[in-house]
Amino acid sequence: MKPAPFEYHAPATLGEALRLLSEAGDDGKLLAGGQSLVPLLNMRVLRPSALIDLNGVPELRVVKTSDGNGLSLGAMVRQRTLERDPLIRERVPLLSEAAALIGHMQIRTRGTLGGSLVHADPAAELPAAVTALSARLTVRGPSGVRTLSSEEFFIGPLTTALAPGEVLVDVLFPPLPPGTGWAFVELTRRHGDFAIVGAAALAHLDGAGRVDFASMALCGTGGTPYASPWLGDVLHGERPRAELIQEVGRRLSESVEPDGDIHASAGYRRKVAGVIGTRALALALDRAQGPHRAEVA
Amino acid sequence: MGGRSGSGAEVDAGAIWVGQRLKRREDPELLTGKGRFIGDLTRPGMVHAAFLRSPHAHAKILSIDARPALEIPRVVGVLTSHDLPPNLGAQPVTHVFTDRNTPNYALARDRVRYVGEPVAVVAAESPYIAEDALDRIRVEWEPLPAVSDVEAALRPGAARLYDDWPDNVAGTFRAEMGDVDGALAQADVVVTERFRIQRQFACPLEPRGVLAEWDPHRGELVLWSSSQILHIARDCLAEVLKIPEHRIRVLVPRVGGAFGCKFHFYAEEVAVALLARTVGRPVRWLEDRLESFVATVHAREQVVHATMAARRDGTITAVTAQIDGDMGAHLHTVSYGPVWLTSVMITNVYQIPNARVHTRAVVTNKTPLGSYRGWGQPQANFVVERLVDRVAHELQQDPAEIRRRNFIPPERFPYKSLHHTFDSGRYAACLDLGLERLDYRGWRARQAQARREGRYIGIGFSFYVENTALGPSRMLNAGGVKQGGYDIARVRMEPGGEVTVYTGLCEMGQGFTNGMAQMCAQTLGVHPDHVTIVTGDTQSCPYTGYGTGASRSAAVGGAAVMKSSQRLREKISAIAAHMLEASADDLVMAAGHIQVKGAPTRAITMADVGRAGYLRPIELPPGMDPGLEVIEVFDPPQMAWPYGVNIAVVEVDAQTGEVKFLDYVVAHDSGTVLNPMIVDGQIHGGVAQGIGAALLEDLPYDENGQPLARTFMDYLIPTAADLPRFRLGHTVTPSPIIPGGMKGVGEAGIIGPPAAIVNAVEDALRPFGVKFTETPITPERILAAVDGAGIGAVSSQRR
Repeated sequence: MKPAPFEYHAPATLGEALRLLSEAGDDGKLLAGGQSLVPLLNMRVLRPSALIDLNGVPELRVVKTSDGNGLSLGAMVRQRTLERDPLIRERVPLLSEAAALIGHMQIRTRGTLGGSLVHADPAAELPAAVTALSARLTVRGPSGVRTLSSEEFFIGPLTTALAPGEVLVDVLFPPLPPGTGWAFVELTRRHGDFAIVGAAALAHLDGAGRVDFASMALCGTGGTPYASPWLGDVLHGERPRAELIQEVGRRLSESVEPDGDIHASAGYRRKVAGVIGTRALALALDRAQGPHRAEVA
Repeated sequence: MGGRSGSGAEVDAGAIWVGQRLKRREDPELLTGKGRFIGDLTRPGMVHAAFLRSPHAHAKILSIDARPALEIPRVVGVLTSHDLPPNLGAQPVTHVFTDRNTPNYALARDRVRYVGEPVAVVAAESPYIAEDALDRIRVEWEPLPAVSDVEAALRPGAARLYDDWPDNVAGTFRAEMGDVDGALAQADVVVTERFRIQRQFACPLEPRGVLAEWDPHRGELVLWSSSQILHIARDCLAEVLKIPEHRIRVLVPRVGGAFGCKFHFYAEEVAVALLARTVGRPVRWLEDRLESFVATVHAREQVVHATMAARRDGTITAVTAQIDGDMGAHLHTVSYGPVWLTSVMITNVYQIPNARVHTRAVVTNKTPLGSYRGWGQPQANFVVERLVDRVAHELQQDPAEIRRRNFIPPERFPYKSLHHTFDSGRYAACLDLGLERLDYRGWRARQAQARREGRYIGIGFSFYVENTALGPSRMLNAGGVKQGGYDIARVRMEPGGEVTVYTGLCEMGQGFTNGMAQMCAQTLGVHPDHVTIVTGDTQSCPYTGYGTGASRSAAVGGAAVMKSSQRLREKISAIAAHMLEASADDLVMAAGHIQVKGAPTRAITMADVGRAGYLRPIELPPGMDPGLEVIEVFDPPQMAWPYGVNIAVVEVDAQTGEVKFLDYVVAHDSGTVLNPMIVDGQIHGGVAQGIGAALLEDLPYDENGQPLARTFMDYLIPTAADLPRFRLGHTVTPSPIIPGGMKGVGEAGIIGPPAAIVNAVEDALRPFGVKFTETPITPERILAAVDGAGIGAVSSQRR
């Protein structure tokens, strides 16, 4: 478990990182927190010729407000920061709740937001969370800056829309209406494992206690986060009721196209996708603040 | 010592060290990262080894060319089977149970039989370069059909691993007592089941490691190994390398866990020694985590067809088992010992007069099977304790009470079981303690209440007995074991009055050296801090009969220390009596002082005796030889059998199949306890591993013999976050056959959890009428059972 030889670069600016990445060509790899990349190097599954370490690039670590109540997070913000930073917890509590489920404290202390998104593990929590949150991903490369939705960004298992030479720079979280409820619920074999199935949910109730906004994304149920595009049609204008939530669960199980692995078959994942999605939605509705509290069995 | 212990005051003759909850002496070193393991050792000029391993489950090696590896700068040597000495011996098997041999060598010769089998080894200036060089070795393979499952391997026409055998059965074993067929015919209830116990491995925190260095002038080998079998490893090296034992020195540094997998003598130990001789430099190999999953012996895997018969009143009358053990590709060091042990433990703690086992050890194209904490006992326990629950359920009896009804009662000890003789036990008292600790009635009430709320809580039991203090030597030899069951201890008082104990047993984290120090301190009347235990060097430590396994250290090793200490005490006493001009019978020895009873001013210190013993023989009694050193041997007359009960309380999520622990009680009895903190730790660690067996750990292979779990992403070991808070209770029933009364405890914790947990899950899901026959019970297996039962299947079986 010793990596094959590679060149190591530690740029101090994003510009320098982009230049080094472009010079390295196809064989260059960016090093963020290293929690997935380093094991792959040590197992010699990956043998890049050059590693460009982003840990010394301060502009990638910025946490700042945007769009009034929105938030912009640099790609190198640590998962431990997502979990604990008061501003992040206030603005995007869903992200904090998802981050807290990643591995163990030591892993979250190194692991980054951008690293997890770019690695695009189908069972990882953060891709599902940013999908549910309708985040915008800013990407910089030789031909300039582009902004992608998560549906555009994640294109397959361990595969993103990043073009050669491009770097994920930051992630923009649009503001949520006040009182939005959130939940990240997952099923794992052990505490800290990648999810067998995880669900990120958001819900908001209008003044009459009817759902006027709901969003959900699942991980572990296919090559990319499953964004449940039909959710609004089912829930909007409705008061949350147990039958409605069960209906969402049924639709989730019917809609997802999971793969099996050593921990769970596709069939099991499909079955529990509905259960976990339902639980996340129920919790988000329960947490939604408004004149009428949701009453969900 | 006088200075440290104070002097002049009346010494506390009642200073009792045995049974004290003393902190482990090694922990400050270990917890601050100062322990020196193989990975911390270095020698001048040392180079690093990396192994090329078979990617095929079964293949012929048509050709192999390792020369290109030498073209890489700073690669200093490479070995393949072509470079092995012509007289090199095959890897030894120490437990000879069968005539069928599975000859295998340090490096595979012309055929590989499992993924991970070592084929070549490279030495380089760094481990990175050594791995780079592996890519350059060219091997031409001819893949052969593989068998990766014990049942497939037994089918007629299955691919065979050994061309000169008619099948894949390496050995068989039968045992029987009583009239099994009669009991089956007359039984009121008979339950039959096929159980499958998964493949696991010991997976210690520190994988294996070897460092070999030769003295070229004297032709002597020094080999450091992360091992449990100090002298046995040396003797195996001697046998394989054809070098006399006294020219080999094996050293065992700190060991970061072993749990049985380092009770084996591995190909890498030979290959690294040969490589060091070839390159003329010390060579170190550290097994990395990735290779550990295929290169270190696996454990457990069996398919068992078992039957249990009982009378209507719950009396169990017979048990039978057909046990098929999946041995992997070779018979490793201990052969099919673990499978044999499953067979003879099939009556567990019960007075079952009629029993029959038929066992087959079957080879497959997988990593060889070997030792892991518990050997074959967890499998036997799982089978028996699952069947007992089935019988209880059939008869509508309480699972605790049916166990109580069938226990071997205290007055029947020594009790002759299917093979072994159990020394002592008060099983019902231990069960009672467990039930009381648990608040059994309270949990039954909470279970009923939860069911009314649509929640599924279950309570599961498993009673275990553990084979410890392995011996006696003559019985082991008669059974085919090429080593004894005794242990030797050397106890020496130094001139300063402090004590050094030498043992051939290896400290690998279990902490037995603390217990030995307490035992020695109490016997000699010194403080345990003034007792040093030396381990891990074949040149200074006495021979150990069996090595550090089978939960022998406290009982057999401890008894040897006790015997030596007692004899040394006699000599100290005689010297002190002479110096104090008193009768030896009137002396009090404690806290490093020796006093005349009732006369505190007439006292000397151990240092006074130490000086007399070595430096001032003029002070010794007339005719007495100088020196304060004793060697004693202890060979147990038979084995000692600790026991206990696991009681698990779980809640099952019937929508996802997840299992959550609500409570976990272990009541146990391991005879005299040297240090309760260490005993608690042994139970905690063992139960944690047993929970891994019940719920998480599995080493599956695909049908082509490719291992599917090769990292910690795939092989799930429970962490602290996944474990319940164990609640322990102790009873103490000293072993009548071990001086000091100790029984072992090393494997006690791991035996019972799988059955207790699976029983609890089944109990929780009783409304669905589901049953589980395979471990681990994953959420998927549980949900499949629940869904298969159908939500409407709430039966009349509700308790």
